Amino acid sequence: MAISAPAASRRRVHPSRRQDTSMAYIMLAPVLILLSIFVLWPAIQAVYLSFFDWSFYTDSEFVGWKNFHDVLVDDKFWDAVLRGLQFVLMTVPVSMVLSFLVASLATSVSRRVSTVLKVSIYIPSVISGVIASITFVIIYDYSGGLLNALINIVGVPNQAWLGDPRWALAAIAVPAVWLGLGISTLIMIAAMLDIPDSFYEAAQLEGANWWQRTVYITIPQMKNVLLFLLVTGFVGSIQQFELPLVMTGGGPHGATELPNLFIFNHFRGDAYVGYSLAAALLLFVVLGTISSVIFRIVNSEKLVD
Amino acid sequence: MAVLTETAAPTTAPADRRTARRRRMLQPRWMLIVALKALVSLAIVALALFPLAWMIISGFKIRTEVVSTPFQFFPEVWRWQNYTAILSDTAFLRTLAITGFGAVIFTAGSIAVNSMAAYAFARLEFAGKRYVWPLVLMTMFIPGMTILLTSFIVVTDLHMLDTLAVLIIPGMATAAHIFFVRQFYLNIPSSLEEAAVMDGCGRWGVYLRIFLPLSKAPFVVVGITSFMAYWNNFVWPVMTITSPELFQVQQYLAAFRGERASELGLLMAGSACAALPIIVLFLVFQRQIIANIKMAGLK
Repeated sequence: MAISAPAASRRRVHPSRRQDTSMAYIMLAPVLILLSIFVLWPAIQAVYLSFFDWSFYTDSEFVGWKNFHDVLVDDKFWDAVLRGLQFVLMTVPVSMVLSFLVASLATSVSRRVSTVLKVSIYIPSVISGVIASITFVIIYDYSGGLLNALINIVGVPNQAWLGDPRWALAAIAVPAVWLGLGISTLIMIAAMLDIPDSFYEAAQLEGANWWQRTVYITIPQMKNVLLFLLVTGFVGSIQQFELPLVMTGGGPHGATELPNLFIFNHFRGDAYVGYSLAAALLLFVVLGTISSVIFRIVNSEKLVD
Repeated sequence: MAVLTETAAPTTAPADRRTARRRRMLQPRWMLIVALKALVSLAIVALALFPLAWMIISGFKIRTEVVSTPFQFFPEVWRWQNYTAILSDTAFLRTLAITGFGAVIFTAGSIAVNSMAAYAFARLEFAGKRYVWPLVLMTMFIPGMTILLTSFIVVTDLHMLDTLAVLIIPGMATAAHIFFVRQFYLNIPSSLEEAAVMDGCGRWGVYLRIFLPLSKAPFVVVGITSFMAYWNNFVWPVMTITSPELFQVQQYLAAFRGERASELGLLMAGSACAALPIIVLFLVFQRQIIANIKMAGLK
């Protein structure tokens, strides 16, 4: 018995398993073919071609690490990366704090109000970057825009929000936050609802106010979610390029040329793609490193207990 | 924290707590807080929706009113002319129709191919699964910009440039969607499947008769996400489409802004019309979408 049982089960499993394999590959075929052609192959090509002086018009020539070297010594690339980090600092903290506050509010009001809050904060996320850009360009208009009309009321003269290098990046950060707020708020709401009520009841008995409850209960309990949002926010924000592409094209004087836009503009303007590919790969490596560093730093801090 | 919960547990009985809460609700301070919360909620709703309201209102203005000194929030006279003009513009209507057509095919294709793969990964044992699954997952972490340029080279080599196929096919298989549907399939009890097999149902039968009918929720999420991604796509159409007959809606709007910059009221009306289908779609399915985001946040 003891010996024959596994043998019998193996015999029973075997034919169906072989059948499964062929069926599995029939079901997987479309996805595997598509991902291979349109994701994996381009990824391999990107690595491969970054070692060549490749263009649509001439024969490619192997140049080794030259493209990477060119990128690394190009001040414009580093300027774009720094600008990207600056943009992250303008968007991610604001977005985290705002969505935390909205989420706190949404979890403390009646269900109906909470639904209205959730839906309206999320609606901007479904709007395209192009439409957001068009709307904000008009809000920022120099001579007749809404924003200048508002600051005129308090006596501040008109500003060229998108035309002034001092303001342009911040002017793009606003729609970026607006578009991205919905998802992080909803994720935070979900995380807040997961915290057991008993924690708050106990704190209330001890006389803890809202601020103390937030600092000692809510934030530590949400540590993982906050970390997740910080890393995804960082990665998403530094890769933003649709808003500056449509709103300013990277100007004025490159003030809004974020890393991905820098690469995209280079690709459009330069017949040789090696440089752009090397820059994209380097950025990928830099981003991966920075996000893992953020992850390490925040994770190592003993926030809980 | 542990100390706090211990002290809390034995004290208040539920009935006491309820009366305490009721007493608190009658205090003026409590009512003030409720009023304050309502006010702040209203302010948040207004701020979140303001740019969209602004866009829609601007669509009712004549061109000199959209940006004007002195500034005016509402139009002098509400005019439908921008909306009627943009909606009777054949080029714009064709753009909406062709984008909608592409989006529907893209969405259907995305649901079909990704859910089949999800089923295979969730429920079938097959040779090489250990290697294929991580490979598929890995594609989720390849940044768009890294492969944007080489994807362009690939579609050029495949002679797909300036066709609807270049918009529909490359993005159809999506690891995130496979992952999402697979997660859902993993939670379907295997007893259902076994019962069907006992009754003589084959593997395809199980998939078609048991899994597909149960898949409405994940399909809605994948479908809406795909539709939105297609509808809102801008960079890829700009790179690959050159014939005006195939222009996608975002591309059209961006080009409109470039070429007819002075017709701001018309541009705003067009943007509002382009945003509306997506907003309506979201409102119809908001419950499922919001639930899905909650799930994403927890994992």
